[in-house]
Amino acid sequence: MNRWLRQHRFAFGAALGNLRKAPGSFLFNVIVVAIALALPFTGLTLLDNVRPVSEQLSVDPEISLFMTPQTARADAEALAPQLRNVLKAYKAKITFVPREQALESLKEKSGLSDVLGTLGENPLPDGYVMKLDGFKNAADAGHVDALAAQLRALPGVDTVQVDSAWVKRLAALLGILRLVLLLLAVTLGMVVIAVVFNTIRLQVLTQRDEIAVSKLIGATDVFIHRPFYYTGALLGLAAGAVALGAVALALRPLNVAIAEFARLYASEFQLAALPPLGVAALLAISAGLGLVGAVLSVQRHLARLN
Amino acid sequence: MITFQSVSKQYSAHAIALRDVSLDIAKGELVYLAGPSGAGKSTLLKMIAAIERPTAGAVLVNGQDIGKLRREGVPFLRRNLGLIFQQQKLLNDRHILANTMMPLLVTGASKAEAEQRARAALDKVGLLDRVKALPLELSGGEQQRVSIARAIVNRPQIILADEPTANLDRASADKVLDALRAFHRAGVTCLISTHDELVLDGAARVIHLNQGELVKEAA
Repeated sequence: MNRWLRQHRFAFGAALGNLRKAPGSFLFNVIVVAIALALPFTGLTLLDNVRPVSEQLSVDPEISLFMTPQTARADAEALAPQLRNVLKAYKAKITFVPREQALESLKEKSGLSDVLGTLGENPLPDGYVMKLDGFKNAADAGHVDALAAQLRALPGVDTVQVDSAWVKRLAALLGILRLVLLLLAVTLGMVVIAVVFNTIRLQVLTQRDEIAVSKLIGATDVFIHRPFYYTGALLGLAAGAVALGAVALALRPLNVAIAEFARLYASEFQLAALPPLGVAALLAISAGLGLVGAVLSVQRHLARLN
Repeated sequence: MITFQSVSKQYSAHAIALRDVSLDIAKGELVYLAGPSGAGKSTLLKMIAAIERPTAGAVLVNGQDIGKLRREGVPFLRRNLGLIFQQQKLLNDRHILANTMMPLLVTGASKAEAEQRARAALDKVGLLDRVKALPLELSGGEQQRVSIARAIVNRPQIILADEPTANLDRASADKVLDALRAFHRAGVTCLISTHDELVLDGAARVIHLNQGELVKEAA
């Protein structure tokens, strides 16, 4: 075995030895860090489950287009091919609504037929209603505004209305949720770093004599620092595993409640644990946070000892 | 091998540990540093190990200027030195074999090699039968012999012993000194500081320090 590997094995063994010396303290720290990690892990699991659902939601927006009052009927009808051209990327259902039909519809829906009957002439323009298809998710709905701008530029078009406000709201809501989760993760990540920082600080203080002797007999800084780095990474890794286990356990009772709710909507929706790749990534992040806490602590406190 | 060129060490305006000390120590020499407490003996030894840096002048070890030695280079300097202290600086939660193995493990030696060489070193100081004892289970003299074993396990070129016989009874002190003299006979350069005049009996070279100044050199 080469020297580098041997030194890492020695450092890893020293880190395990330090943990074995105070198993209660290590366990307590793992629980504290795991609690901090469990919250963002839960949020991430929920988002991971909700994302496919939101992708299946019908987010197809509807666009209403009104011609100017001066546009002749023939010109208005002749616009249909141009509309199809603009909307060719989507399976758009384009319906021409003559002004007479619009007035009749208004009378029916508004209940104001008497009032509207007093008008000398029909004030409504000819128009089109376009139902768009082919939107994959709420984020795609942002493209509708660009389409509306293109439609507005067509000849004889007066007004274009986009009925996709709710789609935008959903997209915005998911965006906010992601942002909240990110902020939560960053905040709790700092908590993890702080806990590991303090744990390592205490270890450095309790091993002050050993560090001093090691320096006198020719140990390099890297040799002295390495066991503390392993301790921090092990603490983060163990806490990450505990947090993931806790989230997976919490899904069981949640799924019982969700199953009853989903049945009302003829759905079989269930929350699932994160896939193996996600689990591995979160464990790596947990270990990484522990390592960062350890590095910061070691550099600060060993510099003081020097 | 070791050269002090007009070396001074000042901790503060009123705390001057060494004043303009110049000396040369050749390879394989056994040199005693004598003088009362506060004479500057420990500071002089600490400078050779780069534990302290000179305020003025230069300390050369094997031609290397210790004052200019970068922080990263210090561990590699110390691997060629065997340091022995009045307070043995043993780790009390480890048995003496583990204590003696430490200088080898920090260099990346394998555990098997470290154990074999540590046993050999403990054998040289007469403690092979106590390898599993904890330091606090040993007498002061035995603890000092463990610290000698730890100092020589790396086969250093230079041994620096700071008051190694202080707090020891005469019999224990003699055993410690015999061990150090044996390493000197094997070709190791030894510097031993002491304020015990009995230790200096028959010494080939003694450097007397007082209040940080080299006051007398006897051969």
